Amino acid sequence: MQDKTPLSPPPVLGHYDRPMWESIRARAMRLQQCKHCNTFRYPPGPTCGYCLSLDFEWQPISGKASIWSWIVFHRQYLEAYTTPYNVISIQLEEGPLMVSNLEGSEPKGSWIGQAVEICYVTLKDGTILPRFRLIQ
Amino acid sequence: MEQKIPLHRSAAFVGIGHSDWRQDWNLVRQGQVPFDSYGYATVAFQRALQDANISAQDIDGLLSGQSTSYERMGEVLGLNVRWGGLGNAAMAISQAVMAIETGMAEVVALVYGNNQRSANVQYGGAKAMGGENVLSYVYHAPWGMTSQGSLYAMLQRRYAQERDYTESDLGQVAVAQRAWASKNPHAIQQQPITIDDYLSSDYVCEPLHLFDYCMINDGGVAMILAESNRARQICDKPVYIETIARYDYNQNGTSLRPQLETFYTHAQSKVADCIFNATGWGPEDIDLVQIYDSFSVHIPLALEGYGYCKPGEFPKLCKEQGIGPGGKRPVNTSGGHLSESYMQGWNHQLEIVRQLRGTCGNRQVENCNRAHYSSDIFGKAFSIIYGR
Repeated sequence: MQDKTPLSPPPVLGHYDRPMWESIRARAMRLQQCKHCNTFRYPPGPTCGYCLSLDFEWQPISGKASIWSWIVFHRQYLEAYTTPYNVISIQLEEGPLMVSNLEGSEPKGSWIGQAVEICYVTLKDGTILPRFRLIQ
Repeated sequence: MEQKIPLHRSAAFVGIGHSDWRQDWNLVRQGQVPFDSYGYATVAFQRALQDANISAQDIDGLLSGQSTSYERMGEVLGLNVRWGGLGNAAMAISQAVMAIETGMAEVVALVYGNNQRSANVQYGGAKAMGGENVLSYVYHAPWGMTSQGSLYAMLQRRYAQERDYTESDLGQVAVAQRAWASKNPHAIQQQPITIDDYLSSDYVCEPLHLFDYCMINDGGVAMILAESNRARQICDKPVYIETIARYDYNQNGTSLRPQLETFYTHAQSKVADCIFNATGWGPEDIDLVQIYDSFSVHIPLALEGYGYCKPGEFPKLCKEQGIGPGGKRPVNTSGGHLSESYMQGWNHQLEIVRQLRGTCGNRQVENCNRAHYSSDIFGKAFSIIYGR
């Protein structure tokens, strides 16, 4: 039988994205931290948007975050994502906002402000994705 | 830093035209392809020339919309000009005004054609339109988020909670704009809807209902902008550009922070200071507000951002003043992108010209002398003030 598992939508892989995705595959996500003003950066890029310093270090993130907003797709745009499914915006403890999905149980009522932590989910096609779970 | 007050009545619109959006819509739905993007633009351009009663030889500047190439547009229209460029509606108008103010052009054609429906342009999915310029359209694809609607859904969810707005509060936009469209013979969607129709319509990307989305349709728009002295020679009722201002949020744009943190309203307040200082007017002096509405939530955001109501008081404005027909705060009187035609901000300018000329029939805003166009797309808060 032919494998019909749809491929997950590929990430944008610019020059500075690659190390981040390598750290995700190792299940220990890292982001760039500015060596001059200590600001964490997402998405990865060549310079700090706050002080323009080109010096940075890849630092592990704590994985702690809180939900800023959430949506539920009812129309399917991507073969690998059958509806309905959620997408969340979270603020990492380190500062940046990031888009992800809420894995596992869902809050009753508003999701905004709920504390979450990172988990690494292996999708059907083998892609490893950082997602977030409610902190019970 | 003290800001210089920008232009004041240096340029004016003298002619407008558009393709037959309703006919374009029907033909495309039947599987026909009436024109390509350039063809739609040509139909509109011919009508704008006719409306201004000038010939193509009078045009010495050309601005093309972003769905076409400037060079090819000039070739198709047979226009050899001394100045030109490419831009979305607000950018094209501001560039044309700058060209006129600096003397680089005197009579500028602004033309837009888009075959987005018949060419099946994708606004969601891994190959979402615009991703090469706007990273947020494609960057979150691994988590299943690509459509432009989803970005506004994310915004609306947080915005509604912060302001304590219900779905019924926000649904007033789609209902009011459809009511306006029912009085507009050019509008594609003319069948009135109720708030119950809105609430019972499907979610596309929750919390957005189907009626929160713009249509996707083919068509063209053209406008002729002339230096003011020349404009007065060309026609009796030029529609002047009083001032233009803009403020952009680029920092952290891909992570969506500007739209999720302040909903662009801070950028809009900066622009509000600029346009109202330049004209000496305030929100109370504006007769018509036209707001870029790819999604309905643009309307409460702009009305709050520019001080037409206080943050949190959009439902009160709808109830006490009204944004639909008969209301004291008319907004998007053609039906906008939700109900008239999705011409990416270009059709909003046509309606301003028609309203200020006083040719809008049974949807005419009484004593309409001053209009405000606002767009807040790609992190750019943009405003143009028009006067008679």
